[in-house]
Amino acid sequence: MRVELREITKRFGSFTANDSISLTVEPGQIHCLLGENGAGKSTLMNVVFGLLHPDHGEILLDGEPVRFANSGEAVRRGIGMVHQHFMLVPVFSVAENVVLGFEPTKSLNRLDHDKARREIRELSERYGLDVDPDAVVETLPVGIQQRVEILKALSHDARLLILDEPTAVLTPQEIDALMGIMRSLAAAGTSILFITHKLKEVRAVADVITVIRQGRVIDSVSPETSEPDLAALMVGRSVSLTVAKDAVEVGGSSLELRDVVVRDDRGLVAVDHVSLSVREGEIVALAGVQGNGQTELAEAIAGMRHVESGQIVLGGRDITNRSPREILDEGLGHVPEDRHRDGLVLSMSISDNLVLNTPRRAPFARRGTRQLSAVADNARDLVQRFDIRTTGIDASASSLSGGNQQKVIVARELSRPLVAFMASQPTRGLDVGSIEYVHRQIVAERNAGRGVLIISSELDEVLALGDRIAVMYAGRITGVVDSSTSREDIGLLMAGAGREH
Amino acid sequence: MSVALEASRVTTPHDRRTTTIGAIMIGLGLFIAVVFGLVVPSWAHSQLTFDPINTAVHAPWHLGALTVETRWTDTLLGLVAVALGVEVVLRHPRRAMSRFGATSILFLLALLLWASRTSGPATVNFVDLTAVLVGSSSLAMVLIYGSLSGVLCERAGVVNIAIEGQFIAGAFLGSMIESVTNNFWLATLAGALAGAFFGWILAFLALRYMSDQIIVGVVIVTLLAALSSYLNLQVLTPYPQFNLGNLAPNLAIPLLYKIPVLGPVLFNQTGFFYFAIVLIAVISFGLFRTRWGLRVRAVGEHPKAAESVGINVVATRYRNVIMGGAVAGIGGVSFMATQGQFQPGYTSGFGYIALAALIFGRWTPSGAVVASVLFGISSYLAGNLQGYSVPIPTEILGMFPYLITIAVVAGLIGRVRPPAADGVPYQRS
Amino acid sequence: MSTESITTAPRASWWRRLYTQSPTLLAGLAIALGIVVGAFVIIFTSPVVLRSWRHIFSSGGAILSALKITVDNVGAAYRAMFTGSVISPTLLWHSLTTGHGWTTTLTPLSETLTYATPLLIASIGVGIAFQTGIFNIGANGQAQMGGIGGAAVGSMIHVPMVIHLPLTLLAGILGGVLVGLVPGLLKAYTGAHEVIVTLMFNYVVAAFLIFSVLSTALQQPGQSNDISRTIDASAQLPPLFGVASGLRVSYGIFVAAAVIVFAWWFLERSSLGFEFRVTGQNPQAARASGISPRFIIIAVFCVSGGLAGLAGTVQMQSTTHYIDGGFLIGNAGIGFTAITVALLGRNKPVGIMWGALLFAALGVGGRAMQAATGIPLDLATIIQSFVVLLVATPVMITEIFRLRNVETQRIQLATQGWGS
Repeated sequence: MRVELREITKRFGSFTANDSISLTVEPGQIHCLLGENGAGKSTLMNVVFGLLHPDHGEILLDGEPVRFANSGEAVRRGIGMVHQHFMLVPVFSVAENVVLGFEPTKSLNRLDHDKARREIRELSERYGLDVDPDAVVETLPVGIQQRVEILKALSHDARLLILDEPTAVLTPQEIDALMGIMRSLAAAGTSILFITHKLKEVRAVADVITVIRQGRVIDSVSPETSEPDLAALMVGRSVSLTVAKDAVEVGGSSLELRDVVVRDDRGLVAVDHVSLSVREGEIVALAGVQGNGQTELAEAIAGMRHVESGQIVLGGRDITNRSPREILDEGLGHVPEDRHRDGLVLSMSISDNLVLNTPRRAPFARRGTRQLSAVADNARDLVQRFDIRTTGIDASASSLSGGNQQKVIVARELSRPLVAFMASQPTRGLDVGSIEYVHRQIVAERNAGRGVLIISSELDEVLALGDRIAVMYAGRITGVVDSSTSREDIGLLMAGAGREH
Repeated sequence: MSVALEASRVTTPHDRRTTTIGAIMIGLGLFIAVVFGLVVPSWAHSQLTFDPINTAVHAPWHLGALTVETRWTDTLLGLVAVALGVEVVLRHPRRAMSRFGATSILFLLALLLWASRTSGPATVNFVDLTAVLVGSSSLAMVLIYGSLSGVLCERAGVVNIAIEGQFIAGAFLGSMIESVTNNFWLATLAGALAGAFFGWILAFLALRYMSDQIIVGVVIVTLLAALSSYLNLQVLTPYPQFNLGNLAPNLAIPLLYKIPVLGPVLFNQTGFFYFAIVLIAVISFGLFRTRWGLRVRAVGEHPKAAESVGINVVATRYRNVIMGGAVAGIGGVSFMATQGQFQPGYTSGFGYIALAALIFGRWTPSGAVVASVLFGISSYLAGNLQGYSVPIPTEILGMFPYLITIAVVAGLIGRVRPPAADGVPYQRS
Repeated sequence: MSTESITTAPRASWWRRLYTQSPTLLAGLAIALGIVVGAFVIIFTSPVVLRSWRHIFSSGGAILSALKITVDNVGAAYRAMFTGSVISPTLLWHSLTTGHGWTTTLTPLSETLTYATPLLIASIGVGIAFQTGIFNIGANGQAQMGGIGGAAVGSMIHVPMVIHLPLTLLAGILGGVLVGLVPGLLKAYTGAHEVIVTLMFNYVVAAFLIFSVLSTALQQPGQSNDISRTIDASAQLPPLFGVASGLRVSYGIFVAAAVIVFAWWFLERSSLGFEFRVTGQNPQAARASGISPRFIIIAVFCVSGGLAGLAGTVQMQSTTHYIDGGFLIGNAGIGFTAITVALLGRNKPVGIMWGALLFAALGVGGRAMQAATGIPLDLATIIQSFVVLLVATPVMITEIFRLRNVETQRIQLATQGWGS
């Protein structure tokens, strides 16, 4: 299908997310949309998929202008979308999810489960995406859930497939497999719109690359364009893709995990006898595909999840199963994975957020009464030191950009006396400028002799920051390797190879 | 490539909770067996009768009274409760809740038998089982309407805490229309419309303006309580012809109504009772077997996913909340049709008990029905034990349904989950 | 970025703040709309008014006379409400010129303050819970238990006033804490949703109230009704202007004032209050910041329940000096009214104070209106409900009045669902 977007404009209030964007996808073409977080890629795709209505501009499918009232109409016109956050109902079966909205029925509007099952088996075979139609989605691993999401997108003879950041939850090998699927779909005539901010993927699979920055099309380039050039187009200035690190003398143990076992919310073992040591003056990067126990491990270290067995030692003191408050007081700095959920109170002021986990400490409180002048002094100081861009310390945290919100958390954590510093997905969803800034802060902390544990599912980040890299798969550490290890080898570890028994 | 995590189970909080419930059941059983059973002198007897109250009309086939020895009967009932408790502790059955419910009914039955024993404290020295069941069934019916209303709303993701208000609206308008037209069909229609209207108000504020659903629900109840009391003084008191309080006639189903005990309870009821049964079947079928139900549940679990396949989330929620309001409105009419004249405040929290029945029943129509029956029986017994001069103050017995509800919400909710998006306002992208 | 640019902006002038500060403006508009709705309720239920409108086509002047009758009726109702709850200008003039009749003149104001006192205390309890993300529908039961506690201590022990009065107040607080603690513990340890549990507890306590006032220990000797003993004079909150003044307004208003000051300090200045607010705004972030959710949940129920209990005993100690089976059940019950007051006052102590005064005036005035015009006092509750529906839906008010640039804040508590 030939898809043409003509001067699409979408505004949210005074903010223009898409500013007259035009682009064309030829039949059988893999068209990459490259841009930073917040550049407006997802908004554009939601417009194409009928979830949002453009304020201006038109969409042409095979030359015919279309206007979708909802995404059901887009699906009927042959558009399928794989969403970044899966659009799957967790308690439904695979079959129910795939047919939702287009259910085969018998008399009395009854669901025809047999027909649904047959359809899914057929689709599975046709695309080589094996999945059990009766499995309940929430019991499936993330990789399989994505397979269901792809099947769902393809199930209505999609001739345009939109993939919104599909690789975040995959290992390098799974990414290769996905690209294989994309190529074979394209070869069969399906047009593909592939959205990402990862340069390597773009160059590997794209036929055409369109770069978007701040809601505008910057340029359309060929996949032969070099990575630094792509990065420069995406960000608007030249970017150094590596982090400068000096050699630092490594000291004694800062944070140590010994045979730690943790269970997830469903009572299953999520962290399976993990041992890991972070020494003073080194960054250990914990790599792995999301959902392999890293989240639970971080929560256990921060005292937010029960440690079933094993020991966690911070600066020589046992902090196993101590309360979050005690662990903070022992000197653990913690940047949580989900900053909106765990890191900030968005409706409160920046100055309050900067003392969120130390409200009772001197000088911020005296005999149970808060000392607001000390809180404000602290805020003014940190806003300046960490270059937090804000209209004032009394502005709410929600008024800040994602990068500045993360700076608030980093500033708060690093302003306390620390023994070790742990950051989960420290740059997720940030723009390149903020990523560079956060990375510099993390390296500075290591240079100051603290032990640093970085948990990240971005392989680039892991390779750029880690002095040593530990890889986690299915709750276990499958290997601890040097930062010079190749991407492919780390990818194998992320997929569970080399797992000792 | 699939990740196979170790699937060994541990003692989760749910399991521990179930064990606690089992322990409480065993305790209750032992209490019944000892206090109501073994301690009673062996010469004391209790009498169970099975004749319905209005034997003149629709006499069923007669069943003689049954006289039992109080001591051993209650001991037996107690031991059954103990057995149920042991099963819950050892096997953690999926339906621990219904077993707990059964135990509470056993407790009340044993109490009745004990109170009506020879030379016991009671002025009435027999237990009319049929009367107990018939009385309970009309309360259960009202709760069924209320909890089905909740099922419709909450499965689509809107918390309807205003059921009580819709009861009041239905009962008020139903009484007025019935008095004027002498026609229960019109009264039912009016009650349904009244309930639907206040369902729409809730939906409008919750969906269009994304107000907090609990606050709006509570305020709707307050508003309707005040409005009905106001109109009662302004309209119904000066014009009593608008509030005659006629009861709906019983429609006996030929032959079946003659079956002892079951006949009067199930086959000699008002039209509202039969309609409730039909509604249970229809909603159950619709929700779990049809395309409509799949879409409703998708909207209640993951509205964004529903939207992404072209399902109109807001419209689905509107439809369901309005339907739910109508069902609760009919429930209000049914209350009026079985309890008589409208009085301010006479639904006395039944809407909230219906809400509890919904939760107890895990947001399923069948579960809600089981819970409604249980709460109906316990409410009826608690309200009618006075005649037996049980040496427990009636006020304390009056707490029973509420305490059970608290126990249920706190402990027995077990492995159930509400619809994931229940009560969460939905904003398009 | 320089240091100067990140200091606080200078405060705007008061009228500009009043206009742009959405809560005050929105509350004011909601109240105005509520009064208009109340007028329509009166119009549609007064036979005289309806009859006058039926004949508007009969003659040219009929429409004017119908309008006049409408305005007269509505006006009479609202005038009775105002003079019955604030002050009557004619009586005030009479008192000012003659120097007599002050008791009659000031009685409405005194009554409004008397009703506002416990309502304010209970509402602040509900408001603090709201700020912590907890919906305490159980203030009614907690207040009743406070009344029971106060009545028991006030009537059963006999000690000098300096000990007896504070002890009775304390007993009331403890009663409320006791009832509040159960839902708190259940929520903290089993995850039971507080809305259901506190709701059910209202019915449990209402039953217990009747049981307790019928029990030999508490029942008025020589009575078979559901009425308790009268508390000792040493446990009573005496009238502010002495018994001889005939005005019921009591020293209880100082208790209320102390509660306002305490609540302001607690929410705005204390560390614990800060942790309460953090928990209310974002429970997950609170937990990650080292705040124990269990402790906060239990603590907030103690504070909220304690204040409701205090409200109950203050009501009993300053007005009736005994409790009966209908204690605090009148109108919508103090608990539900407290929820509406807290919402109207945006859960802020000073806002709640104005809200409580307004709703107390509505209630007291409603009684006067019923006596003067026969319109049932339920009208007050109807108006209250409308006001709160509007306050809970700020966007609707901005749409109705076509306000621009007024920031609205959505109240939202129910995101947790019902389950554990």
